[in-house]
Amino acid sequence: MIAALLKVTDLTVVHDGDGGERTLLDAVSLDLAPGEVLGLVGESGSGKSLLCRSLVRLLPSSRLRISGGSITLSGRELTTAPEAEMLAVRGGEIGMIFQNPSSHLDPVMRIGDQITEGIRFHQRLDAKAARAAAVDILAQVGFPDPARQYDSYPHEFSGGMRQRAMIGAALSSNPKILIADEPTTALDVTIQAQILRLLMDIRARRGLSVILVTHDLGIVAQVCDRIAVMWQGRLVEIGEKRGLLAAPAHAYTRSLIASHPSLPEEDMPAKAEELRAPGAVPVVDIEKLHVRFATGGLFRRGAVDAVNGVTLRVMPGETVGIVGESGSGKSTLARAVLGLTPVSSGTIRFDGTDIASGRAVLGMLRRQTAMVFQDPFNALNPHLTVGKMLAEVLRVQGKIETAQIPARCGELLDLVGLGRAFLDRKPRSMSGGQCQRAGIARALAVDPKLIIADECVAALDVTIQAQIVELFRELVERMSLTLIFIAHDLAIVRNLCQRVVVMHRGVIVEEGRSEEVFSRPKHAYTAALIAAVPHIDPDKPLLAPSKMATPQADGVAN
Amino acid sequence: MSEPLATPALGRKGGFRRRGTLAAGVFLLGAFVVLALGAPLIAPYDPIAQDATARLQGPSWLHPFGTDNFGRDILSRVIWGTRIDLKIAVIGVIFPFLIGTTLGTVAGFFGGIVDAIFMRLVDIILAFPFLVLMLSIIAILGPGLASFYIAMALVGWVSYARLIRAQMLVLKNHDYAVAAVSLGFSRMRIMFRHLLPNAAAGSVVFAMSDAVLVLLNGSAISYLGLGVQPPVAEWGVMVAEGQAFVTTAWWITLFPGLAIVTLAFAFSMIGDGLADLFGVHE
Repeated sequence: MIAALLKVTDLTVVHDGDGGERTLLDAVSLDLAPGEVLGLVGESGSGKSLLCRSLVRLLPSSRLRISGGSITLSGRELTTAPEAEMLAVRGGEIGMIFQNPSSHLDPVMRIGDQITEGIRFHQRLDAKAARAAAVDILAQVGFPDPARQYDSYPHEFSGGMRQRAMIGAALSSNPKILIADEPTTALDVTIQAQILRLLMDIRARRGLSVILVTHDLGIVAQVCDRIAVMWQGRLVEIGEKRGLLAAPAHAYTRSLIASHPSLPEEDMPAKAEELRAPGAVPVVDIEKLHVRFATGGLFRRGAVDAVNGVTLRVMPGETVGIVGESGSGKSTLARAVLGLTPVSSGTIRFDGTDIASGRAVLGMLRRQTAMVFQDPFNALNPHLTVGKMLAEVLRVQGKIETAQIPARCGELLDLVGLGRAFLDRKPRSMSGGQCQRAGIARALAVDPKLIIADECVAALDVTIQAQIVELFRELVERMSLTLIFIAHDLAIVRNLCQRVVVMHRGVIVEEGRSEEVFSRPKHAYTAALIAAVPHIDPDKPLLAPSKMATPQADGVAN
Repeated sequence: MSEPLATPALGRKGGFRRRGTLAAGVFLLGAFVVLALGAPLIAPYDPIAQDATARLQGPSWLHPFGTDNFGRDILSRVIWGTRIDLKIAVIGVIFPFLIGTTLGTVAGFFGGIVDAIFMRLVDIILAFPFLVLMLSIIAILGPGLASFYIAMALVGWVSYARLIRAQMLVLKNHDYAVAAVSLGFSRMRIMFRHLLPNAAAGSVVFAMSDAVLVLLNGSAISYLGLGVQPPVAEWGVMVAEGQAFVTTAWWITLFPGLAIVTLAFAFSMIGDGLADLFGVHE
């Protein structure tokens, strides 16, 4: 093996709080060879990001400190290096890119200048040479017209292009190591695939070492050489990716692999059976729905069709998944169905009644539908305890006697697997998964016919994701619910929903039974979406962009 | 692998400094309340009783804060003044707070034409210098504390309305507000029970620093002869009366002035403490 470029030995980081020391990183050891890609996985709070920040000694709080261990970069000790030396290391030798490109790029500085800054500081080039170098980097990270785009501002680009710009800024000072902290989590799958490919390209071209932090085992399986698994501040397992994925040693790694929602491989036979019982009234019947939002200011008025002529029918007891990238209109559609967004044209019938026919119908809708939201913390009123929140819903809905409300609150919590101890808890003291369960309990408190879940697992760790999906499956079976499940994660939809609807730019491009759509996508866009999902099996590579738009580019192509 | 069901509460652990500020402020304010309530028992003299034999005496064991030009005991007057000044600070803040919060909530929540009307009203009031507007209203209503409170309520609400409105504009798009709509909650319930408690933290903190301003305003108005009328003991009036003797009998102005500063200090410490507690700075 080649001598390690970066060597971390027994790195320990503690938090000095009121109640004494708390160990956040517990004797973490790893090394990184030149040109190697190391995947760092683990759930939120496991210390992945903290480890990365410790490497460049940028601890997020003054109460944190490195209490032991060593970090050596090309034989140089970093834990005791003077601050001036660290300035040269940060960016110069270790570059970083982050999850959210919008908040890590300066919004009032031209994209090119943000890259030039690093070049001038670390490589001491003059303004003209630096600009030329920056244009070169922009081209390398995939800007089609770098000389012109040099002068553009971050807001002029999409999320994917911004992430490219951030990678460019990190590369600008020619680092030996690139730390990428969840670089694709905020992006759509197709963009994610492009960014990952770009990272691999750059690695190949520059011989860069990469530490890739992610919670998605699929990504790690696709692009990394070795995998390190972190759990509760410790590095529980590290090893070559194939070996580790095939034979995980630690219990946590096993559960992580088990929770990964992979698309099943088997080619399901197409079933011709009709889903709809003849004569049944659809719960939701959407016809030629348009939802238009006004854009622009006083002088340049325009409108954008968020939902552009959607016709969809959902039968009682059905579980329908809606997938599509951000901006495809899935959430707008959901809100329109619940009467939360005004409809421009078209009709929505709930249980046979047009929801646009007056306040009484809207009231009826409110009593029979409920929504589960994406961000579990944002969806709960931070001032109310879970018990108060549920009791209020029950009281306002008035479906059960006041005297029975406390008992019902307890039942609801049992139903979502939280337990009655949570009646007195406020959202702030709960984890994301617990908050999401409380949110589901709130939806169930309505005793609804229809639940719409809008990206309700996107913000959760994979292990928690799997639990929430399982909970939905149970509830749907037990309570004969109709569920519309909106997600951008195809694998989850595939596992949970009988029927899937694929949306793209406000229109439904494909619709059908899940097995069928996923195994034999008819529309090119669906195929591209499916092909872009990183598979947990490292031998099923992400497909090249040229092939991505073709329907044949399915997982079975290899 | 199951989700740990008993995560430790992530409560904000206030450090000593954070808690200390709030505690000190509350303690100081409490001391003023005790002074106000117990004035008849604590004050050694009658605050308006004149004593021609003891005029303009400096601080002594008999009169710790000295006496004024009518021979009245300054200490007793400062203690009795606490009653008036606390009332000014509290009433002068509560009404603007209630009015501003309500209007701001409604404006922010409904938006559109309602918002436009309220906010233009705010603009109109802000277009006039604060003190000029106060003085004109008091001049119309006639001097006295009641006029002062009314003027305060008419002018002071604008800051609260703006603060709350800005918060509401953000909060009404939060998922829990959307959830409340989808659950069939009435608008009143959503506005005042769900959104307002989450929006109010900043205003409560502001109210504390506002109390300081109101106190100083009350004193200024009284100083101009439009607020509290002599011979009632009020700190602002006392400072005004002592002005003529400031070179020869400094104690007449110094002690009521110190009282104003101390009470203001108490309010601002409470405001700081609350800001930390609510996480307004974060």
